[in-house]
Formats: sequence, structure tokens, C-alpha cells
Amino acid sequence: MNVRQWAADLMLGVRFAFTGGREGWTRAVLTAVGVGLGVALLLLTTALPNALTVRHDREAARSDITFAIQPMPKANDTLVIADVDEDFRDKQVRGRAMEPEGPRAPLPPGVDEFPAVGEMVVSPALKELLDSDSGALLGERLPYRIVGTISEEGLIGSAELAYYRGAEGLAEHITPGNVERIDRFGDPEPVEEQSDPVLILLILVVFVVLLMPVAVFIAAAVRFGGERRDRRLAALRLVGSDSRMTRRIAAGEAMAGAILGLLFGAGFFMVGRQLAGSAEVYRISVFPSYLNPSPALALLVAVAVPAAAVLVTLFALRGVVIEPLGVVRAGRPARRRLWWRLLLPLAGLAMLYPMIGNGRDNGDFNQYLVTGGVVLLLVGVTALLPWIVESVVARLGSGGVAWQLAVRRLQLSSGTAARMVNGIAVAVAGAIALQMLFAGVDDDYTKSTGQDVSWAQMEAILPSGVPLDRAAEKFRDTKGVKAVFAYSESWLGDRPQDPDNGTTLTVGDCAALREIARLPSCAEGDVFVVHGAEWDGEEDVTKLAAPGRKLYVDPSYEGGPERPAVPWTMPEGVKAAKPRTGLLAGIDRGGFLMTREAMPDAFAPALDGHAYLRLDESVPDVHDLVRNTTAAIDPLADAMTWASTERTDRFDAIRTGLFVGAACVLALIGASLLVSQLEQLRERKKLLSALVAFGTRRRTLSLSVLWQTAIPIVLGLLLASVVGLTLGTVLLKMTGTPVGVDWTGVLAMTGIGAGVVLVVTLCSLPPLLRLMRPEGLRTE
Amino acid sequence: MTPPAGSLLSADQLRKAYGPTLALDGAEFSIHPGEVVAVMGPSGSGKSTLLHCLAGIVPPDSGTITYNGRELSAMSDAQRSALRRSDFGFVFQFGQLVPELTCVENVALPLRLNGTSRKEAERAALSWMERLEVDDLRKKRPGEVSGGQGQRVAVARSLVTNPRVLFADEPTGALDSLNGERVMELLTDAARSTNAAVVLVTHEARVAAYSDREIVVRDGKSRDMERVV
Repeated sequence: MNVRQWAADLMLGVRFAFTGGREGWTRAVLTAVGVGLGVALLLLTTALPNALTVRHDREAARSDITFAIQPMPKANDTLVIADVDEDFRDKQVRGRAMEPEGPRAPLPPGVDEFPAVGEMVVSPALKELLDSDSGALLGERLPYRIVGTISEEGLIGSAELAYYRGAEGLAEHITPGNVERIDRFGDPEPVEEQSDPVLILLILVVFVVLLMPVAVFIAAAVRFGGERRDRRLAALRLVGSDSRMTRRIAAGEAMAGAILGLLFGAGFFMVGRQLAGSAEVYRISVFPSYLNPSPALALLVAVAVPAAAVLVTLFALRGVVIEPLGVVRAGRPARRRLWWRLLLPLAGLAMLYPMIGNGRDNGDFNQYLVTGGVVLLLVGVTALLPWIVESVVARLGSGGVAWQLAVRRLQLSSGTAARMVNGIAVAVAGAIALQMLFAGVDDDYTKSTGQDVSWAQMEAILPSGVPLDRAAEKFRDTKGVKAVFAYSESWLGDRPQDPDNGTTLTVGDCAALREIARLPSCAEGDVFVVHGAEWDGEEDVTKLAAPGRKLYVDPSYEGGPERPAVPWTMPEGVKAAKPRTGLLAGIDRGGFLMTREAMPDAFAPALDGHAYLRLDESVPDVHDLVRNTTAAIDPLADAMTWASTERTDRFDAIRTGLFVGAACVLALIGASLLVSQLEQLRERKKLLSALVAFGTRRRTLSLSVLWQTAIPIVLGLLLASVVGLTLGTVLLKMTGTPVGVDWTGVLAMTGIGAGVVLVVTLCSLPPLLRLMRPEGLRTE
Repeated sequence: MTPPAGSLLSADQLRKAYGPTLALDGAEFSIHPGEVVAVMGPSGSGKSTLLHCLAGIVPPDSGTITYNGRELSAMSDAQRSALRRSDFGFVFQFGQLVPELTCVENVALPLRLNGTSRKEAERAALSWMERLEVDDLRKKRPGEVSGGQGQRVAVARSLVTNPRVLFADEPTGALDSLNGERVMELLTDAARSTNAAVVLVTHEARVAAYSDREIVVRDGKSRDMERVV
């Protein structure tokens, strides 16, 4: 056999893929669309690492608030910048107030010139929001004139809401982490984030779990139109091609479909890349330019997809004998054997076994073993499912006509049915395992904030110098605010600089003080010392409370900014009080409590204001109404919405990635199911019309289609649950986490899988009803 | 127009178009119980469309079809389907057997659609298969039998409900002459024994020879050949 003959056969196959009139083109396009969707998803995956790197680099290039302890002196190349981030509904708005101190002050990336006081430059997404009706509420908080747009290099996503505004007098408020003086943007000493082995494991498994169904999907897509292709090959045998030639021609056809699919995939990817610029998923958006696939990985996709298509086709033709007078299956197909199918998942378990008990503290997991093990376990689903479907449907008894039609069809070609649900089963098995792993390690990444949202739902932090009473009044007047507990806070030390002993000072009215401590009695002018708070050494507080003892409000520390500490002499009659947990974010407030009248006026500049707000959350946009009030009180004031827990950003990002990926994969598999379902129905057009002609009810035929899909999917989901639970258990044991099954998660994942099939079946009903029309009997 | 006296099924002034193509253009037809009528004509003349209209599979654009005193066009789709299940039987050129079901299950299918129990339906099916000499195929699937055998199974399926009208669309079109003749013999004998009328669409004279009367369809119009002859 020479190369020329091979090439000629393959080319003939390529020609067959596109000839045959409308029918031929439809088949080729269906295959190409299927493969193309898979390829687009693969290309997207190869582009993701780059997108994340670009986002990370852009974020690093614009970093400004560096929590510098040592204040930088004012110079002609310095800029004072304040973090004035906002929240609007459930979105974050990155905000910075800037005051250049000289002509060489650094400009932030993406900004051409400094906005003057009363002006701002905004991201395109923020501009759009402010221009819309829904942004009016945010507009009240940002009453600045828009003088420019932040360009792409200053943003980390197309939907990012961000602005820079001009400001003055910021230098007075310099505080690390909030208002800082800088001479450049970008972190000069970036700290490499330590990789957490469990997070790396999660990322690996997420990738494998999401990509496996795509591979299964591509394998299914290249088999679209298989029956018709077999008939064509038989015709070729009739005119003299031998069985090897026909196989090569079939391979050529599959390759053509796959190559067209690659082109479609590249097209879908380019379209998707552009669309990605206008989409935001789970608060993450990207610019199209971020999504550049790594050339090596893109090349791998370009080679692997056609190669896989050819291999799958040749594998599918194994049991088929193409004879000149038609295609026959090789006798009665041999009964599927279980032993080698079981070997795959067992080999997967064997690869994962050495890492059991590894935990977080014993270094990274072996990436090759993890990937290999998970792949083999999931491939095991695709290997076991045809055997299970075959074994079960062979035992299914009789029932109504719809049931009988469905069961008989499954008995005749259980492989087709199993192939149809393979993708879903793999996706569900992987998702169940990941759900278990996420639920198991969730506690490690979820911290309690200590904020008791039943006491207060928002907290406003007011800079020093803002009159607290007036601020509290404004909050009370805000729609939706039920109660306001306002405190002024500072730190008391036994020396004006570097004190040995110190504690907190909290000023408020009696009602507010009662919320944070158990007071024996309270009248204006009282001072209390709180014993037994969690963070205050009792001995120190007692010593500090000695009448006549001199203390200093707002002392300064070595290395920190110099502060004008205000002296205060401990009065007589300080009352003892007990701490009370509740309002202050779970912290026992210790130290000294002071009523307003007892506070010397000189303290005022040294105190920060805190207002804890109880809200009526049924009032629409109540959080934004409070934020607007906060901004009106002082532009540097900050309003925070309370939450009882907070989670590590990266953990959340991986979880989000999983959900986004799973949604894409399930949509893709759903599309594939629909295409193959429609193809099967089209193949049976004439038979369906004949059945209707002799009076078969449409309901009977629709029901039989439903059964035909439902039986394999139930089996597939059962197998997926078993494999998913096994894999989840192994992964949890690997991370050293107690094994627990999140049954809600298992049910949710299987439910979603079943839902996809139901939707596909419902979508295939209208074409089924159309195909059942008697016109299908016409041949002329 | 009133249907011809004693006719079981009749059609008057049938018109049917598929897009710009006129398939029937004023066709007429009638058949009596126990009668075998061959509908002949060249390819594309409209004979299959006439059969589909007569059987209530396709509604005509205009004209009337009367079956046993009831007008078909006045019936709903569900009523026409029920009529096809109970009173009509069908044989198509390629049998159109359900490939997944065994031969006996295929023959029993119309009875099961009518609500007959599986056992009873298969008993009746087997008795018809015996009459059509294919009872030995009962456990085989359509893919495992020859074309002639499959067609005999299809004839058994069409007769199992004891229909009053049997519609046969080119029933021997895919068979060799020997097999074709055997199928026609069995079909007409069985129909006559149950007094079923047979509407036989064919373009083969030797098949039409099994009929009592011939109707020729050309360009959508029908002519009763009996009157000419």
C-alpha cells in the first residue's frame, strides 16, 4: 500500500463529506458545528491562563494602596491617593481620589491626565451605568463631571466599574491602607502568593472534569450521520473498493468534518472572544484581547481533534462489516465484557491511592497522578455505561406500546443510547466529586466575620473630625434605617508615644453604650471601665482606671505617623461594667466607655466615628440609600454591608470557575444530545409516518422517545453518582478532610443532568411531531 | 354529490396540491365491501396521494370523502386516527416494519394500539402469520428476514385488526415477480375471506390483474377503466 493510494482514499472521503447535495452539506455542517463548539471551548480553556495572567498583571500595575508604614515625604513626583471604593447594589466600584503634589506625579495606568477637583475619569462600564436610569442612585454619590475614560490598560475587565476623581486636602488624612502618598503605581515588591496544594488540586480536578465531557462530546459529534455514511460505503464496495479502502475513505470523511469543525471552532472562538468583551459572568469580565490561546496548546488542539476524529471513526467501524449489498453488524454483536471496563476506574483509583492522607501540609500533590487518576476514573464511566445499559435493558420486561418501542430500540442499539448520555454522566460524576470536595474543604476557606447581622446590617466608618451627632441624625433620616448606634472610638495609652499599656476608648450616648456593655446605671457624664473583655488584659485596665492617672488619647508608635496625643486625667467615680457580645462584630468591647458629656472637646479630632445601622431590608435599594448618605456626610467615609461569613477570594474564584465551566459544558452536551436525537428521528422519518398512518397516537410515539432517553439517563446518572461519590471520597481522603456526603449537592447535580435531558427531549418534540406528519410517506 | 349506492368508501372532486404541484385535480373514487380496486398510473400521477387522502392520512384541499356514510373531512385528526386503527389496514412498498420489534410484535402492534392485551394481540398476530406462512419468523427481527417475508409480515400486520378497507401502496414494488405474486395471492385471498375492500396502488399490470376493477390516475384526474372496457 503506497502513500498515494492512502492520500487518494482519504481525499475521496473528504470529497464525500461535502458532496451529496443538501443532505451531504447538512451532515457535514452538523458535524462541523458539533466539533466546532467543542474546539471553541477547548480554545477558550487554552486562553484562560493567559487571560488570568493579563488580569493579574494589570491589577499589579495599578496597585497603589500598599499599606506603607513609613510615610513618604511630599515631593514634586508624589501623589496622594485615597481608596474610595464603593458598592452599588451587588457590584463593586473601584474608586480612587487623587491629589497630585507636583508636576511629575505618576498617572495611573489608562489615565491620560489628572482630573481636577470636581471631575472624574471613569471606566466605560461605569459611564454606561451612570448614563442609565438604573445608575441614578449611584450618580448621587458620584456628583463629579466626567472628563475622560479609563482605557483598557487601566482596567481588569470590560465590565469593571472604576473611576479616578480629583481631590484636595487628602494629605491631612494619610493613613496606611486608606490614604497614602505614592511616587509610582505598581507594587515595587510584589509578594508571590504561596500556592495551596488543596487549591492546586481543586484547579486540576476542575480542568479535568470540565474538559473530559468536551472530549466525549467531540467523539460523539464526529459520529453524526453514521448510518447514512455506512450505506454510502456499501455503495463504494459495490463498485469495487475493498474493506480497507472503505475504512480509509470513512477516515477521510471524519477528518474532513473535524477540520471543518476546527475552522468553525476558530470562528466560534473569535465570535465568542468578541462577545466575551460585553459579558460579565459571576462578576468576572475580560477584554477580548485577554483571550489569546497559548500557541502550543492551540496547536495541540488543531492536531488532536482531527486525529481523535479519525480514531473514533475507525473504532466505530470495528464491529461493522461493509458489504457491497449493504452494511451488516458483525453477526450478533458480541456481549460487552465487564472486566476490562472495570480496569479503567480501578487503575484510576490505584493512581490516586498513594496520595491518600497527603493533606495540606505534606507538599504538593503529584499533578500527573492526580490528572491521570481522575481521567481514568471518568473514562471508566464511558466504558462502564454501555455495559450497564446493555445488561439492564436486556432484562427489562414488557409494558405499554410506548415502553415496548423504547425498550426494544434500546435492546437493539444500547451503544448509541449509552453514547448519548456519556457526556452528561461524565460531567455529573465529576461535578459530584467536586461538590463533595468543595463542601468538605469549605470550612477551611470560610471564616466567620463575627458580624451578627441580626443586630446591624451596615456599618459606616467616618473619618476623624466628622461630627458624629450630625452624621447619626442624617442616618436616622435615611429611608429604611430603623436604628442607629453611633460611637466615637480611639486608643488610650499610658504615654504619648510608644505606650506600655493601652486600651480602647469608646464614646457614645447611654443607649448606644448599653448595646456594647452591661452597665450598672448610666447618666450623661458617666465614665465606665469594662472588665473581662476578650482582648483586654484585666490587670492592665484596672491599673489604667486608677483615679488621677494620666492617659493619652491617640498615642503614636515608633515608625508610624506622629500624632498629637491628647492628655486626659482619669476622673473619680469611674463605674465598672461588663462586656456584652453583639453589636460590635462579635468583639467584646473592653477599655473605657464614656458618655458624650464626659468627653473633653479636645478629644474630637482624635476620634473616628462608627455608626452601626439596623435596616429595614424590605426597602428597595436600602443599602445604596445608606451609602449615598455616607458619601454626603464625608467623601472619605466608608459604608460596609455586613455578612456573617467571608471566603478566600481564590477559593471563590475556583468555585465560580467551576460553575461557569459546568454551565458551558452542560449547554454543549445538551446541544449535542439534541443534534443526535434529531438525526435519529430524521433517519426514522418514513417509519414514523407509517406508524402514524395506521393510527398510532402521537402521544405514544412522543412517550416512547422520552422513555428511550430516560432509561439510559437514569442508568447514567446512577453510575455517575457512584463514580462521583467514590472520586469525591478519594479526593477528600487525599486532602485529609473528614468524608461527608453532601446529598443536596448530589441531588442537585443529578437533577441538573436529568434536567438537561428533559429539556433536550422537550426540544425534540416539535420536530418529532413534524416528522410524524403523513407527508413523510411521500416519495415523489 | 351523493356517494354511489352501496359503496363503502367514495371520493368526489378531490383536489390536492403540494406547493405549486397539483397532485389531484378533481379525482373520483368508490369501492364496495369485499371489492379489490387497483389504482394505476405513471410515477407522479397522484395515485399515492389519492390513497393517502382516501385513508384520511392527508386531508384534501377540496372535495369530499365518505366512508360508511360519514364524511372524513368532518372528522378531527384524532377521530381519523382512531378510524385508521379500527377500520383500515395498510401495506407499504418497503413494509415499514419497526426494526426493533420482532415480527410477531410488529404484527400485534395495531391491536396493542387499540388496547388489546399483549398476550391476546400476539395470539391473533400468530394466527395471521400462519395464514400468511410466516409464523416461523415470529421471533426474528425485520432486519433478519428477506424482503418477501417482511412484506408478508406487513400484510399480516395490516389484516390483524380485521379492517374493512385495506390500503396497499405498491405492496410488491420491492419484490421479485415470484415473491410479488405470492404476496398478492395471500393478500387478496385474506382480504376476500374477511370481506375487506382493498385499494391497491400499483403501476404493474400483473399486480393490477388481481383486482376486480381498475382506476387510472393521470395528471391528478381519475378514470374508471371498468366502464371503458
